[in-house]
Amino acid sequence: MELTGSILVLTGAFFLFSAGLGLLRMPDTFTRIQAGTKASTLGNILVLAGLGFYHPDWALKLLVVAYFVLMTNPLSSHALSRAAHAIRTPMAPSTMVDALREEGDRQGNGDVS
Amino acid sequence: MKAASSLLAVLLFGAVFAGIVGGYGERESVSALAEQYLAMVPRELGAPNVVTGILITYRGFDTLGEVAVLFMVAAGVGVLLGGKDTTTASEPGREPRRPSELVGNGAEITLPLIFLFGAYVIKNGHLSAGGGFQGGAVVASGTMLLMLALPATKLNHGFLGVTESLAGVVYVGIGILGLVFAAGFLDSHILPLGEFGTLISAGAIPVISALLGVKVGAELSVIIDRFRN
Repeated sequence: MELTGSILVLTGAFFLFSAGLGLLRMPDTFTRIQAGTKASTLGNILVLAGLGFYHPDWALKLLVVAYFVLMTNPLSSHALSRAAHAIRTPMAPSTMVDALREEGDRQGNGDVS
Repeated sequence: MKAASSLLAVLLFGAVFAGIVGGYGERESVSALAEQYLAMVPRELGAPNVVTGILITYRGFDTLGEVAVLFMVAAGVGVLLGGKDTTTASEPGREPRRPSELVGNGAEITLPLIFLFGAYVIKNGHLSAGGGFQGGAVVASGTMLLMLALPATKLNHGFLGVTESLAGVVYVGIGILGLVFAAGFLDSHILPLGEFGTLISAGAIPVISALLGVKVGAELSVIIDRFRN
């Protein structure tokens, strides 16, 4: 039981580490946001699940926390990257397609939601 | 040269922190004062959370002062930022960007959760970590999310002001009741202690906690809203 919890927490820590690594190594704002969000959401939830194995009586509260992380983390990253896109933050030179900008141009204004 | 000086700075900081870490010894026993409080709060006040018991009863006057400071801050922000016409913000020809639909919907789902959590923190102040100030701050953060995600929202300042003033008046009124019916100003023994560890227990502490939560939440919400315009 505790071994399972420890392994889960360790896996979560690995994902959180890779999120930090992504923040350092990725070339531009959007890829950094993406690396930070995806890996840290999964890492957080894994750590919470591992804690749930350690303390089964906390399970409900941990579930609520995990739900909250799942709701807010991608959403805040979406808001951040949308704002960054709207003020035309430069992208990495290797970017091929900007689907959101093309969609906005097709509709005749600079911005769509 | 620059690298050498930064290395030197890091080394010096390292030496300072090594001294602090090396000199740190975990305290084996609680001090006499802490022991006194740890025994006294559950016995006399019936509150498992010693910190809230101290803050609301033994140092109730201090807490009243903190609330007064917060009130002064809200009043000062209102004097500095209030009274301006808000229509000057939007310049012609440049409409503000529509808020994202995802953010709006997400806020509608998370807001009830945040407010519920704030109420939970306020109501469990005498049982576990939390209390009026913390819960009020959680509620105000929910208000902030409401303003960011749904910018069309208008806060009713009059209603919030009246709520906050009423909470403050009732708080002082409870303090005076303590002066009349119990040992002193803000004594929590005006209500029965109840069963130890249940939601409705510890005398007037939950009532004061709830009043503090309402007051802090309303005040911080008004302050945040003032900064928006």
